[in-house]
Amino acid sequence: MRVRVDSELCVGHGRCYVLAPSVFGEDERGHCVIANEVVPPDRESQARMGEANCPEGAIEIEEE
Amino acid sequence: MAANNPDPKTGEVNLFSPEFAACPQPVFRRLHEQCPVTRAAFTGSPVISRYDDVMWALRHPEIFSSEMEMAVALGTERPMIPQQIDPPAQTAFRKILDPRFSRRRMSEIEPAIRAHANALIDEFIDKGECEFDHEFAIPLPCTAFLSLMGLPREELDLFLELKDGIIRPRVTSDDPDEPTRLRAATGQRIYGYFERMIDERTRAPRDDMIGYLLEAEIEGKKLSRSDILDICFLLLLGGLDTVTSTLGCNIAFLAANPEHRRRIVEKPELIPAAIEELLRWETPVMGVPRVVKQDVSIRGVEIKAGEIAMLLLGAADTDAAAFPNADAVSFDRERNRHIAFGAGPHRCLGSHLARMELTAAMEEWHRRIPDYAIKPGETPRVSPGIREVQYLPIVWEARRESMP
Repeated sequence: MRVRVDSELCVGHGRCYVLAPSVFGEDERGHCVIANEVVPPDRESQARMGEANCPEGAIEIEEE
Repeated sequence: MAANNPDPKTGEVNLFSPEFAACPQPVFRRLHEQCPVTRAAFTGSPVISRYDDVMWALRHPEIFSSEMEMAVALGTERPMIPQQIDPPAQTAFRKILDPRFSRRRMSEIEPAIRAHANALIDEFIDKGECEFDHEFAIPLPCTAFLSLMGLPREELDLFLELKDGIIRPRVTSDDPDEPTRLRAATGQRIYGYFERMIDERTRAPRDDMIGYLLEAEIEGKKLSRSDILDICFLLLLGGLDTVTSTLGCNIAFLAANPEHRRRIVEKPELIPAAIEELLRWETPVMGVPRVVKQDVSIRGVEIKAGEIAMLLLGAADTDAAAFPNADAVSFDRERNRHIAFGAGPHRCLGSHLARMELTAAMEEWHRRIPDYAIKPGETPRVSPGIREVQYLPIVWEARRESMP
């Protein structure tokens, strides 16, 4: 699984890094940053939770 | 009657009725189904209620602008920054302000919020009852504001008075202009207070919010004195009634729905999810106004430049097209893209602060007062607009605690 954030859409709601801190991080403004696009299998449910709770729909998941 | 809202013939929706404020969800449902873009009774303002439409409007500030003449309404002389200005100027201010409101920074003031929540509960827990709004929900967010600004707790009463002077001026006559005059007078006191703070920090720099704003730069230029005042005004007004209202809506819901309350008491780790779901269901800031900058057609309804549109966040958050089982309150909802804090560039600056306050308050309250109900024979009273539960009598079985 790969996970990406559209930084044009992200406005810093912060739902992703609060709910799934093992996949999503935050920059100084509180916008989402993803250190590693490739999601290990044991963190896939976390990644999906981040995607499902982003009000901006800024997170995209690509299942492989 | 709530069943006649929106009006079955004209589709006009009454946004000011007390029944609507107390229980807006059935009205939202009828708006979605019958007239998703309609007009408000009395004002004729366009009212938008579907999730996708509200989202689209929030993301197009060039069409649905936040730049409006709210000055008279709120006692200000200029727009509040960054709420009442649009990108790109708004973006520059958000770049400065966002880091001061990040989740990490907010966790620094969390201990002060928990301590104040417990101090408030100490005052009434042995009585077995309280009026939740005035004894808990109103004072608590003031502590957050004072901590955020680096002001001493002794200023609490002053700020409660200033906030009330803007939101609920004490009218003493029938003169329709009196509220505006009172708000303007309070506005001047607020400007004066922050002017003195700026003067003090200009003489002796301090590491607090105003100290930070005095040092901040946009494209190599320091903020003007009026910029700083316009930010401070927003910080004072923005974070008080909104969190107060959310606390009241939450406790009113949980008092009336013991099965939901028992779940979070038995499993306190559910509290953050419960807060999100109640933000969705109650959406205390039920709508945000926008000035229409160019003619636009939504779902075949023509909206004209110059009109003031109401984007119903609460309706968006209960839209069945966006939320499966939208009418069911479920703390297990896995997909929750609610927009109780708005969306797009104007996403609430204080959302991380609000979430921290709500979590601390709900955890402390339910740890100490797990079982409570609305006082028998009483009916909570909810204000229109921002849904503050202005009268919320709560009772519980008083008992001596072994430890606080």
